Amino acid sequence: MFDIIGKRFWFFLISGIIILVGIISLLSAGLPFGIEFSSGSMLTVKFEEPVEYDQFKEELVSLGYTDAIIQSAGEGQFLIRTQVLTDAEKTQVESTLTNRFGQLSEAQFTSVSPQVASETFSNAIIAVVIAAIGILLYVTWAFRRMPRPFHYGTCAIVALVHDALIAMGVFSILGAILGWEINLMFITGLLAVIGYSVNNTVVIFDRIRENLTKGIGHNFEAVVNNSLVETLSRSVNTSLTTLVVVLALLLFVGATIQNFVVVLIIGIIAGTFSSLCIAPSLLVVWDKKEWGRFIPGRRFSDKKA
Amino acid sequence: MTRKNTIISALILIIFVLSLLALLPVDSERLGRKGLHLGLDLVGGVHLVYEADVSENATEQVRNMDRAITTIQKRIDKYGVAEPIIQQLGEDRILIQLPGFTDIDAAKSLVEQTGFLDFREVELNDTGEPVTLGDYLAQEPLQFIDRGESDRRVFVAVYYDTEGNQENKTVAFLEDVNGTIGLADAAGSPVGNAELQEYTDSLSWIAARGNEGTHLTGEFLTDAAAQIDQSDVVPQYVVSIEWNSQGSFIFDQIASQLYNAGEYGSPQRAIGIFLDDSLLSAPQIRQQSYQGSGQIEGSFTPNEAEELANLCKSGALPMPLKQPPLYQEKVSATLGANFINMSWLAGLIGIVLVMIFMIAYYRLPGVLASLALIFYGALVLALFKLIPVTLTLAGLGGFILSIGMAVDANVLIFERMKEEMRTGRTLGAAIEAGFNRAWSAIRDSNVTTIIVCIILFWLGSSIIASAPVMGFALTLGIGVIVSMFTAILVTRTLLRLALHSPLGRKTALFSIDRGKK
Repeated sequence: MFDIIGKRFWFFLISGIIILVGIISLLSAGLPFGIEFSSGSMLTVKFEEPVEYDQFKEELVSLGYTDAIIQSAGEGQFLIRTQVLTDAEKTQVESTLTNRFGQLSEAQFTSVSPQVASETFSNAIIAVVIAAIGILLYVTWAFRRMPRPFHYGTCAIVALVHDALIAMGVFSILGAILGWEINLMFITGLLAVIGYSVNNTVVIFDRIRENLTKGIGHNFEAVVNNSLVETLSRSVNTSLTTLVVVLALLLFVGATIQNFVVVLIIGIIAGTFSSLCIAPSLLVVWDKKEWGRFIPGRRFSDKKA
Repeated sequence: MTRKNTIISALILIIFVLSLLALLPVDSERLGRKGLHLGLDLVGGVHLVYEADVSENATEQVRNMDRAITTIQKRIDKYGVAEPIIQQLGEDRILIQLPGFTDIDAAKSLVEQTGFLDFREVELNDTGEPVTLGDYLAQEPLQFIDRGESDRRVFVAVYYDTEGNQENKTVAFLEDVNGTIGLADAAGSPVGNAELQEYTDSLSWIAARGNEGTHLTGEFLTDAAAQIDQSDVVPQYVVSIEWNSQGSFIFDQIASQLYNAGEYGSPQRAIGIFLDDSLLSAPQIRQQSYQGSGQIEGSFTPNEAEELANLCKSGALPMPLKQPPLYQEKVSATLGANFINMSWLAGLIGIVLVMIFMIAYYRLPGVLASLALIFYGALVLALFKLIPVTLTLAGLGGFILSIGMAVDANVLIFERMKEEMRTGRTLGAAIEAGFNRAWSAIRDSNVTTIIVCIILFWLGSSIIASAPVMGFALTLGIGVIVSMFTAILVTRTLLRLALHSPLGRKTALFSIDRGKK
């Protein structure tokens, strides 16, 4: 039989490193907010003739858009992100570009005013807070018959925070490297995955409760591990089927909802890991009062599996 | 138990067939317009959010918003956009979504323009008869029939819909451009005689002018309101209009001209009320003098009277819209075309992979779960079509994600079944116990997803009516709710059927021995 719980401090180490890297990236590079949150205009233009990136950038800089973020989006296609463009400014940009590089077509244009951006931002926060409260109430309710509901609830929430931190960290890194941005769809994907993955934790905890009431095993750690193993194929199968369809989405639809699908993938993987390895392990750590192990230099004598 | 199961099986079969019936015409059209509703990101289009510049009190404001929306609606309608969405958003915002209409600059100028209300009368020839488009089409070269009026003519065709309601449509203009008189179509582009042949009966409307030659326009109108006229035996809804002093003077002059031009009920006696060159109404002149106020009669419903009053009064939007719009988005159609097929491919591959996985791992129950999944897919898509749910890329993503999640319920049940069988229960008992014990887990595990979907739908709809977020929340939510039903009812029924068939005796098909331990 697998001893999952016995390796708990390895799991904490793995998660800890990933989260630490994410936090370093978050602190140094921050989260790359898209125009939905930070306002501005985004224009995708497509030229009939191939155009060099450098020349394109040079032309925009000469127009005075020194801060514009320019991304090449395929052959002769560019994505320009600027402050909010007025109609006149947009017309000027397009006509200047046409004069220089030939006929262009406007594939996409989005412009978000500062007012809408700040409202979207605050509503996104409200949504996250309400979702957190909703999940908290749910967890409290789901664990009402648990012997120590507060322990279970807290561990489930820690697992969620863990997933959210990993997703944000990864996006901070992707933002710094690939120029990916966080938009409403990121929040959407994150909430959907968090709402989904909390269930994995609940199913496992539910089994722990069941086994505890049956009185099988005398040792809490063994009960947790047994419960984990018993529900392992369910947890893995469920995550796999979900992951499979999301991968199909990424491979075949990709492009415009790529960021969204990547959040889902990161969330599913992190969520599976946290509900299998982190949440139950924390429960055991709490039960055995092993907190000392987290403090370097202090040997914990009571460790015994 | 078996009898009940047969009834449920029949019911499931009926629902499946009904779903396919609802869905299948789509297949021939591959998600065409008539089939599933496709969002802006798939068909291209324009999404605008404007903020109204309001300084009046709150109740007035709400009424004004209605008027602004009606006015914009009227303007958009002229462009023949299929299924435009024009709605109030929050207190003082207006949402405009035009699927398939990708000219964002045209859309903006259409919305931002100040409407023009004017009054017109039917052009008459030398013998006092109404002039039609046919009269002009018969001419070569073109010249104005009423020489006294050199401003443009508006030709209006009259239709009757299936309920017998009259609808007016502006079909052409006749205009003197730099000395050349030429015909133009409704959008203002030059047009040849051939294209206008079907409209020969359309009347020619010219500016209604007072004796001094002043064109009567909305500028002279002070108020318009829907009222009930009690003077008749049956009370009628009418629109009463009030003129300012100059307007009253001009209107009486026009009324007197028209009154003497023809019989009551003839086109000669009609005064046409035009908003941006669209004929709103053409009431008859009943008296020679109105002294500042008049009534438009017609068999109006209360709503129609209210709407006409709003349009007359507003002409222009009741309040200016702040520019630039708070939010603007344009997606070109070419971007979307590919994604529709790709999404279906992704969905199909997702379903097939999940089925292969389930069958490989759970054998016969896996086959049954796969059947349930097909049922699930058909039912959900039929619901999307019937509700209808506007499908965006993210919405399709939500649907595809829900396929993966839908299996979760089956996985929970099958795992529980295996455990029950290991404890020595018979197959039949294990199936029932598996379902009974797994139910609470299935219910609980969908609660959070549904909570999140509700919150996301609110988030999406709150500020700019973000179609991707709302679409995702809706498709995922519907998917999760339906999946609970299919997992429990369909899979259980199929399993019971299998149990009572010869298959039920081959326990190996239920992969009992494949478990760990």
